[in-house]
Amino acid sequence: MLERVSGALALVGSRTITALQGMGQAWALLMASAASLRNADVWLPHLVPQMARIGVASVPIALFIATFTGIVMSLQASYTLTGTIPVYFVGTLVGKTMILELGPVLTALTLAGRVGANISAELGTMRVTEQVDALETLAYDPLAYLVVPRVLAAILMFPIVVLLAIALGIGSGWITALQLLDMSSPEFVKGLRLFFLPWDVWFAVIKSVSFGAVVTGVGCYFGLRTERGAEGVGRSATRTVVVASMLILCLDAFWAATLL
Amino acid sequence: MERRREALVGLVVLLGIAVGVVGTIWLQGGLRRDMVELRAATANVGQLVAGAAVRFRGVSVGRVDAVAVTPGGEAVMVHMSVRPELALPADAAVLLAPESVFGDWQAEILSLTELDLPYFVDYPEDGVLPGAALPDFSRLTATADEIARNLTVISERFQIAFTEQTALQLRSAIENIGEVSDGLSEIITQQAARFEDLSEGVNASAAELGAAARVARTSFERIDSIIGSAGAGEMLGDAGAVLSNLRSLTDELNSSLGDMRAAARQADTTFARFDALLAAAETGDGSVGKLLGDPALADGAIEAVQELRALLADIQENPRRYLSFSIF
Repeated sequence: MLERVSGALALVGSRTITALQGMGQAWALLMASAASLRNADVWLPHLVPQMARIGVASVPIALFIATFTGIVMSLQASYTLTGTIPVYFVGTLVGKTMILELGPVLTALTLAGRVGANISAELGTMRVTEQVDALETLAYDPLAYLVVPRVLAAILMFPIVVLLAIALGIGSGWITALQLLDMSSPEFVKGLRLFFLPWDVWFAVIKSVSFGAVVTGVGCYFGLRTERGAEGVGRSATRTVVVASMLILCLDAFWAATLL
Repeated sequence: MERRREALVGLVVLLGIAVGVVGTIWLQGGLRRDMVELRAATANVGQLVAGAAVRFRGVSVGRVDAVAVTPGGEAVMVHMSVRPELALPADAAVLLAPESVFGDWQAEILSLTELDLPYFVDYPEDGVLPGAALPDFSRLTATADEIARNLTVISERFQIAFTEQTALQLRSAIENIGEVSDGLSEIITQQAARFEDLSEGVNASAAELGAAARVARTSFERIDSIIGSAGAGEMLGDAGAVLSNLRSLTDELNSSLGDMRAAARQADTTFARFDALLAAAETGDGSVGKLLGDPALADGAIEAVQELRALLADIQENPRRYLSFSIF
């Protein structure tokens, strides 16, 4: 009995220590990466390629998801608002939801799977194949070479992708309202503009910047901590997606509580 | 390859920025650089928020930029941007009201003469329009709730007061009211009949008066014609003479009446004395009374009268016995 209790306590203690170690290592990685910003000659040449990989290459999947999100939002809004509520509130609901929530969050979750897992797997592979060690041997700053351009590219490109996703989501919701619902463009635009504030767009941009940093940062962290070969790479990719998704949702709640 | 990738990244970045900027501007209602700022002071703004529509005669002419409490806290200042070509009325005011029942509010520019609400705030600053806000639905709901509670109290009191006995009394009262109503109806019917008779009489009287008036008019016309004729002066002269004779006759009658009044007064005096005499006789005072009251005296008087008569007869038969006539 005593052994079981002590075993359980040891499990809790080890998990807590591991979590705290992880947080500490992540903080150390963040600080080291910030310090690596001064090595611009190392990370700058890789910034645009990473922007292309992380941002431009993610646009199709982000737009695909946003399109169907807009369609579903419009249909569900019309279904929910049937009755006494004016139909132009479909525009309000689609616009507000896409700008404030679904555009940034769904795009970030999607990119957590695509970009985060990709970075984690890439860096994990480099780690298990000792390419990262080789960089250090060649006097390359691995953080400036591997982490900084990815994180900066995500910070720069996530808002772009999110803005495009928001625009397309609203557009698809608009077209759905015109084609599938008994609505006119003036009605939809009226609802769209009814409660619109420019701050809403800034809110989406701020959220997407933080989401980009989290997704790539978590991917880099788990990638650089990959161990035990291909199995470890897969585990790192999975952890990246899970942790990044959780952090995205936590950050989403944090920004909503602090900025709105 | 590298150049192509960079171009692609640049395109996507620019496209994203353009979408964000243009979309924001479009959702705001377009570029608003050429807008004119308006300010209005209200006691409260209800549910009005920045971005709400500003309307003039139902047309959207701008947006609400900001809502802020004045430094003194006595009012709320609503900052608006409206189209520069908008011609405001001289007595323009801003009414904040719900745009729909779902919480979206609007600021409507109107003329105070159109809607003279008593609670427009007149802020003592140039360029600030007076403003007012209609009660929002929460206030209406609160008022309705208060009314409902009052109704509940009234209902409870009514339930307490309205017992079975009250119902019976009420029924009896209603029956009494019915009887009274029937009586009143009957009285009214009778009075109506009387009024009809009266009105008929009035009508007849009015007709007669009308006829009399016509006759009078005819008479007056005739009098006018007579007065206006040539023999009127002579007739008037005759009438004056007759009146003069009547006046003299009246004077004579008056003097005769005065004499008659004097004679009547003397007769009254005589009768009074006679009454006194009779009273004295009845009481036995005086000679006549004693005469009337004493039979012996009466007999004596009779005898004296008889002797006097005998004496007179003897005198007449033998005058020389009693009379002697000589000159010297």
